[in-house]
Amino acid sequence: MKRAIEVEDLVKIYKGGVRAVDGISFSIGEREIFGFLGPNGAGKSTTIKCVIGLLKPTAGTIRVLGVDIRHDPGVVKRSIGYAAQETAVDDRLTGWQNLYLQGRFYHLPRREIRRRGEEVLRLFGLWDRRKDAADTYSGGMLKRLDIACALIHRPKILFLDEPTLGLDVQTRQTIWDYIERLRGEHEMTIFLTTHYMEEADVLSDRVAIIDRGKIVALDRPGALKAGIGGDLITVRFSAGDGLEPLIRSLKGLPGVREIRGAQDGIHRIVVEQHGDRLIPEIVRLAQEHGVDIHSIRLKRPTLDDVYLHYTGRQIREAEGSREELIRARVMSRRIRR
Amino acid sequence: MRFLSDTWYVAWRELIKFFRAKVRVVVTMIQPLLWLGLMGNVMQGFAKNPYVQQMIGTQSYLAFMTPGIILMTVLFGGVFSGISVIWDRRIGYLEKMMAAPISRGAIPLGKMLAAAIQGGFQVLLIVLIALGLGVRFASGPAGIILIVLIAMVFSTILSGFSLSMAVRIKTQETLMALVNFLTMPLMFTSNALFPREAMPSWLSAIAKVNPVSHAVAPIRELVLHGWNWGAMYTGIFVILGLAVSMGLFAQWMFRRATAE
Repeated sequence: MKRAIEVEDLVKIYKGGVRAVDGISFSIGEREIFGFLGPNGAGKSTTIKCVIGLLKPTAGTIRVLGVDIRHDPGVVKRSIGYAAQETAVDDRLTGWQNLYLQGRFYHLPRREIRRRGEEVLRLFGLWDRRKDAADTYSGGMLKRLDIACALIHRPKILFLDEPTLGLDVQTRQTIWDYIERLRGEHEMTIFLTTHYMEEADVLSDRVAIIDRGKIVALDRPGALKAGIGGDLITVRFSAGDGLEPLIRSLKGLPGVREIRGAQDGIHRIVVEQHGDRLIPEIVRLAQEHGVDIHSIRLKRPTLDDVYLHYTGRQIREAEGSREELIRARVMSRRIRR
Repeated sequence: MRFLSDTWYVAWRELIKFFRAKVRVVVTMIQPLLWLGLMGNVMQGFAKNPYVQQMIGTQSYLAFMTPGIILMTVLFGGVFSGISVIWDRRIGYLEKMMAAPISRGAIPLGKMLAAAIQGGFQVLLIVLIALGLGVRFASGPAGIILIVLIAMVFSTILSGFSLSMAVRIKTQETLMALVNFLTMPLMFTSNALFPREAMPSWLSAIAKVNPVSHAVAPIRELVLHGWNWGAMYTGIFVILGLAVSMGLFAQWMFRRATAE
């Protein structure tokens, strides 16, 4: 299969020394929806910006549709569409003017803009509102207009940076439907970043989990979930002398693949299958070692767990080390430039 | 061709917004109207003095200050065009333009062009106001066209400067402060409102090199005396030179700042 995007050993170090992207490689096939999943400041937007030529990579090679972006940025720019994290719509222009301007920036002839503009506005359900100033649009409409603008020149690859950030659940669902239609009816390759697990799970053919500038896992969502085991039992034990021997004996139980500790006595027990049958045994062993159980929970794996498994952190976790906070802040400031 | 088209569409966007904000267009005209109507009339008393008449070269102070008001208006207009860059950066529009295959240099040039067209429009209104207040333009309708053109070129200098600063300055407040800090002294160290002959020698020396004075000279000549190229070409030459340099400088600043 022809590759839409190939990235090899991409490194981006910002002035001031923040390693936003730290040697990542991946390749995306044509007509694939590729999800880039990670918390804020993981390096998702930076990667996108390197691929579409807004940032100069510190090292590494990027090929878009077989063309090295350093050799021919113009050709690459014409074959991709980009909708940024910030909804970049000029809200003092009308919907149509926004679209028309975008068409002009891609040097399309007027007739082509008119034809194509009607097509995308109808597709995104904005045709009836095209003559209204964009400042009368709702958040979801603005996002749709922004994506419509990114499609005016019929790009082969569409880059969506956090397309549903800050939108309500229904609007998010609508945007998802549009994204799926774009791939289905318009044969588009879509590169999507998100920090919503569900979004990556529902939309993507393959997901790359990115953490602190590195890809820690990359596969189909199903395979990623299967890869961390069948079931996951999350137990919160009270602290005590019995805890360590308890964990040791839990590890000896049949079917237990791995036990990972986290803060506050929370332990994640990865079980190959039939986690439900193991719960009585866990309770019995805990009593034997004199350890109290605060809570116990059984879960079929989700991408959330995959993320947690590979990074040791919850994606929405607000707390982090000071260093990480600074990193996230520096990067969001960078990106806004 | 593409470069020109890119430049035009960057300007087109600014102009749509400018002419859509009708209230703003009207409000920006109130200030020059007040200057001409109040200060022009108050100062008229001084112009009865033959010595003053000799200094300002006319019997009408209003006619003397009209070029100053024209330049003041385009000065204040042009100098704020950098705000749009800061705004565009904040809403992500700057990035959107740069992700498109347009020339990066077209972004500042388009905004400069927009500032010039907005300025030209405002100058035309001021000329109409001045005509209404009884100012006679010695060079006639053709002179008025040249006055508008000079003012437009002058506004690109300030807009270019403001845009170049906006590339580095990331907040609207800082840019406004810088711009306000510069515009008033620029205005009052020129001969826009008072003749150099009335200034102390140190101020007169500053006024001589002030770009505002260079723009004032040909316009004032066209208002007061008519087509006297000998008194006009230095000013026109300086203004054109500055405009071209600012255009190049702004493009350089944009290319440099966006080549990360």
